[in-house]
Amino acid sequence: MNYIENIYVCLMAPLLITSLCLRGRSRRVIVFLLGGMTVCLLSSYISTFIAAVQGADTLSASLEIAPLVEEIMKFLPVLFYLIVFEPDKSSLSDSVLVISLGFATFENTCYLTQNGAAHIVHLLIRGFGTGAMHVVCGALVAFGLVYLWDRIWIRITGTVGLIAMAITYHGIYNILVSQSGAPALIGYFIPLITLLLLAVFGKDLVKKTLR
Amino acid sequence: MIETVVNIIQLIITGACSGIALFNAVRTEHRAWTLVGLFSGIFFMGDLYWLLFLLFYGETPPYSFIPYMSWYASYLFMLLLLVTVKGGIRRRPVRRILIPVMLFTVSMCLYYMTFGDYIGNIICMLLMSMLIYHSADGLINHTEQVTEGNNRSIFEATLFFCFAEYGSWTVSCFSEGRAVRDLYYLFDLLLSLSFILIVLAARKAVDR
Repeated sequence: MNYIENIYVCLMAPLLITSLCLRGRSRRVIVFLLGGMTVCLLSSYISTFIAAVQGADTLSASLEIAPLVEEIMKFLPVLFYLIVFEPDKSSLSDSVLVISLGFATFENTCYLTQNGAAHIVHLLIRGFGTGAMHVVCGALVAFGLVYLWDRIWIRITGTVGLIAMAITYHGIYNILVSQSGAPALIGYFIPLITLLLLAVFGKDLVKKTLR
Repeated sequence: MIETVVNIIQLIITGACSGIALFNAVRTEHRAWTLVGLFSGIFFMGDLYWLLFLLFYGETPPYSFIPYMSWYASYLFMLLLLVTVKGGIRRRPVRRILIPVMLFTVSMCLYYMTFGDYIGNIICMLLMSMLIYHSADGLINHTEQVTEGNNRSIFEATLFFCFAEYGSWTVSCFSEGRAVRDLYYLFDLLLSLSFILIVLAARKAVDR
């Protein structure tokens, strides 16, 4: 039995207290981190519910249902922030990334409590792989939402497309890491390589696209 | 076996096309290249998901939300590409060609719905209607010389892509048989070819 609500409470409490003591940008970062953890918890409930309704086994749930639910859920706090607070481009892209970070942190913590913390090499690879995967998926959505399109309806259409891309990317990652040996290693390294490529070419692409 | 080979060919072509398009997007200043990259990239990812599932679990995904969603998203990016090369959205009267386009797509959708998947078929019908309409509209504009530039081939390539998609869907509706299977693979190869045509057409349109 994995009591993810209890883990959530333990992680959330200090962050919540800290957020009350902070102001401005620092508070915003903590709140987004909390938001990411909260949507991770909710995603777990929703995925389990959908899997039960569809009669899916654990494997199908993790490979087919979880990526869909998680990426959509990760986008909801961003959408709320965008509609209610109308932030500038920089704040918006930061919010997407910090929410992804919170999500990955909570997911990794749950993984640790379920599978133990004995194998440092595996945890190192998994930690970086999963973290990078969530950040890449967040960056994909942020890229479209912030930079790629100017008109509102094109922005909506493009963002829907990029969320679908993030879902598929997440699904491919889950298929690969569900295997053992080389496919799992490839799966863990793909997000790291993608992140590296985004860091090298992403800014250039954004600059050129904006011209 | 042949199905896997055809899938791998499509995977290689879509992967190469997205790589070329994204490289050009970084190199040049054109949004069209980014959209071609996203279009072929997401189609590639849908194919990859499908193929990996088939490879590791020996069956197609039981709940195929993810690959189908990625293929529908690729139509969305194609639509954005067409709008971009047409010079954005302008308030123009809707052409009469929309009627035969809708007649075709709706009737095909109704036929496909007899095999199930109502929501997927309706989404597909809407996206395909817009793709075919915008391509036909672009071609007519080009013929009437309403728009300038060398965009004709991108509209033709899109129509070819839609033709290959409809061909493969329709053939897959018929019962199994050697001839039907061969025809399905042929349409799948034509679909792969359409990606190459779209990249070539984008190069022509961007270099105008």
